[in-house]
Amino acid sequence: MAEIEPRWVLIVDLDRCTGCQACVVACQAENNVPTVGEHETIEGRWLHWIHIERYWEGEYPNIKARFMPVMCQQCTAAPCEPVCPVFATYHTPEGLNAQIYNRCIGTRFCGSACPYKTRTYNWLRPEFPEPLHEQLNPDVTVRSRGLIEKCTFCVQRIRRIEIEAHAQGREPVDGEIQPACVQTCPPDALVFGDLNDPSSRVSQLATSHRSFKLLGELGTDPGVIYLKGGETNV
Amino acid sequence: MSENEISLVALFEKSTDTAKAIDDLHTLGIPDDRMVVMTDVPYPEQALGRTREWSSLPYIVLAGAIVGLLIGLFLSAITPHLYRLDVGGHPPVGFPPAAVITFVFTMMAIIVSTFLGVLWEMDFPSFGPAPYHKAVTDGQLAILIEFSPDLDDKVNQVLKANQADYIGEPEMISL
Amino acid sequence: MSESEVLAYPEDSSAAEFEDRLLLAERTSSEINQAVLQPMFRTSWKFWALVIFLSLLVLWGLFAWGYLIYWGMGTAGINRPVYWGFFIATFVFWVGISHAGTMISAVLRLLKADWRRPITRGAEAMTAFALMMAGLFPFIHLGRVWKFYWMLPYPNNRLMWPNFQSPLMWDMVAIFTYFIGSTLYLYLALIPDLAMARDHTGKWRQKLYRVLSLGWRGTEAEWHKLHRALSIFSVAIIPIFLSVHSIVSWDFAVTIQPRWHSTIFAPYFVVGAIYSGLAALACILVIVRKGMQLQEFLRSEHFDALGKLVLVAGMAWVYFWFAGFIVEWYGNEPVTRELIHEEVAGSLAPLFYLQMSANLIPIVMLIFKKVRTTPWLLLVATLLVNVGMFTERVLIVVGNLQRNFMPFNWGEYSPTWVEVSIVVMTFAGFALLYTIFSRIFPYVPVWEIKEGRLRYTVRRIGRLLVPTAAEIE
Repeated sequence: MAEIEPRWVLIVDLDRCTGCQACVVACQAENNVPTVGEHETIEGRWLHWIHIERYWEGEYPNIKARFMPVMCQQCTAAPCEPVCPVFATYHTPEGLNAQIYNRCIGTRFCGSACPYKTRTYNWLRPEFPEPLHEQLNPDVTVRSRGLIEKCTFCVQRIRRIEIEAHAQGREPVDGEIQPACVQTCPPDALVFGDLNDPSSRVSQLATSHRSFKLLGELGTDPGVIYLKGGETNV
Repeated sequence: MSENEISLVALFEKSTDTAKAIDDLHTLGIPDDRMVVMTDVPYPEQALGRTREWSSLPYIVLAGAIVGLLIGLFLSAITPHLYRLDVGGHPPVGFPPAAVITFVFTMMAIIVSTFLGVLWEMDFPSFGPAPYHKAVTDGQLAILIEFSPDLDDKVNQVLKANQADYIGEPEMISL
Repeated sequence: MSESEVLAYPEDSSAAEFEDRLLLAERTSSEINQAVLQPMFRTSWKFWALVIFLSLLVLWGLFAWGYLIYWGMGTAGINRPVYWGFFIATFVFWVGISHAGTMISAVLRLLKADWRRPITRGAEAMTAFALMMAGLFPFIHLGRVWKFYWMLPYPNNRLMWPNFQSPLMWDMVAIFTYFIGSTLYLYLALIPDLAMARDHTGKWRQKLYRVLSLGWRGTEAEWHKLHRALSIFSVAIIPIFLSVHSIVSWDFAVTIQPRWHSTIFAPYFVVGAIYSGLAALACILVIVRKGMQLQEFLRSEHFDALGKLVLVAGMAWVYFWFAGFIVEWYGNEPVTRELIHEEVAGSLAPLFYLQMSANLIPIVMLIFKKVRTTPWLLLVATLLVNVGMFTERVLIVVGNLQRNFMPFNWGEYSPTWVEVSIVVMTFAGFALLYTIFSRIFPYVPVWEIKEGRLRYTVRRIGRLLVPTAAEIE
């Protein structure tokens, strides 16, 4: 075992992000996220765990689109955790903000408390119309109506790699663990790794002068670190 | 109530007459615990010249409050250690949440123990037949007296002298 | 006025004025009993029509709730980011309404305010039923209501306890405590009157009252202990009622959502609760007085005093609202600024101005004694207060969730038929319970009125005859 628990972080390089939504789709496939259809989407009830938030900058015609993928920020001091009456969301020793679907009773208090609004809620009975049910991931629970879900950093992948590595008597090497979004990202804008390992790629990137944390002034200490975008984001 | 005792109920219109009658019955040698006064209004203590009853209610409530406090402390300060789950940025037991829970449980126990305590003190519920007169809830003051047969005449005299509207056997009513 | 009453105050024309006062009215004890009992037996076709109408509304609401449970929360209008909508707003409203019962009976009992006497029971019943309605919403709004018992602290098979750091746990415990407290308080004070009703009714009523009066005979010892218990209750329930609405406010204030994260929320909610609760009580009393012909007991002196309390609570509400608003407006933080803008000049402006006018106009109205003592004017004023306070709760819950730190996640909310039906169900359910209660239990606390009459005499001061209270409680 490692001497210190890992601190999993995700680096999002806004300079590289093209807003292609590949991560959204990969996440949806990996984590059995249901689709809700056009009507519910307009109501603000889409379920995908990553939002590519698009912000316009400037006035027409000098206008620029900025993309920012926002998923659960895996806060250290997570505002969502203390408010849950049934411990459906709590803090794992690895610093992950865990969501235990089976325990959730659907008060939506965590959703109201989350300053990033990254928690999604199963408003209606989730449907996986043919042939989507064929591709459900057996490693991930299919959630019922009435409970909150959110990005888990693909905890099922973390656990699988850890178990495989430990079976081989070693620690997972940097870059071995890849959440679905990281694996998919075509411009390599997403990097995942252990911040407590000083030699990891994320540790290097986190020290960049471009790095910032979303709503850092709130003091939630997120596990997602953004690298500020420059001019490439057009 | 022993077999050879007589029990009587006397109804009065006025509280002053009632108080006087009670005093006179005392001088006949009938102690307070052989008399029951029934009214439809709470009279101030000692208005009718009777000794005040000792009440253990405050102690029951105090005991209840302590139990509630302990339950509150157990739930808010002990249970988080029984199954340790961390929540973001908070210690497993924080003062403010523990204070809220402990306070509310204490108050809940005070309320419940007051209620149960007062029922216990009044020996409620008691649905069995009990000496009573329905005129009580119509504003009459009733004295229920138990005494030995040799005092019969004197008691009747005293009650009449104090303007009792009605003197008779108490109805045994299944309340 | 009968001859004997005129003779009672032969030299003074103010005798008629004393007849206006309930506790000085010349009535025998059994006349009072009958005056309270008779209206309970009078059930005209209008009464039954009302009961059926309210029952239908409740049934429709229950259907809507079933529909909500079967299909999921998506049948309500809530969405991301407005996770909480009408349900929570109505929940806060009902908890607020429940506050006046205690205000009237406990606080006024401690202060020995005699005008409370005829209205305490109505107030306590309002508390109990409003809490029942409020208590439904935490269930209604749960996504998986069939798992609600996971919030109960019992040693379950995983030996896992609920999270007592969550304000929802505080909420559950506090509301349960307040419900227990107010119901037992209502019941305890009801026992002597149930015994009275037992002695003067027959058939099923007599059986019911017999069981509920627990064998009360009105002995000195019973009165003494009852008084003792009611005193303890009066003192104990005041901190409970203050804590309940504070805790409800902390559901919002503990988050870091702008405009919710405010230290003034607890007292602001409590004051608002007292304002809306007292107004609701005045409103109900006007209606019950008309429906049950209780003009003898619910007199202008009572409406006048209650109206003054509503007025004071209203002014306190304005003060607390302003104290919260000014610092948020002045601080000018971006999200707060956007929220305030949205409220005073944006899409929520109609609701905001409805709230402000419906809360402020009654304050101006209630300054005038004419309004306080004229039932229909008082009804208008207090109904307005409740429209205003309901709107305020909607604005606090929904309005503040529509905007947040991430402009991408801003949203809008409008309720669906499911939410409206369920909210209407609780109003109908409250009215139904209250209507039935008023015909089954003595609505006016007979023994308290008799006690008050024991307390009052008329004393001569110079040329005047003055009602005087004796220190006997």
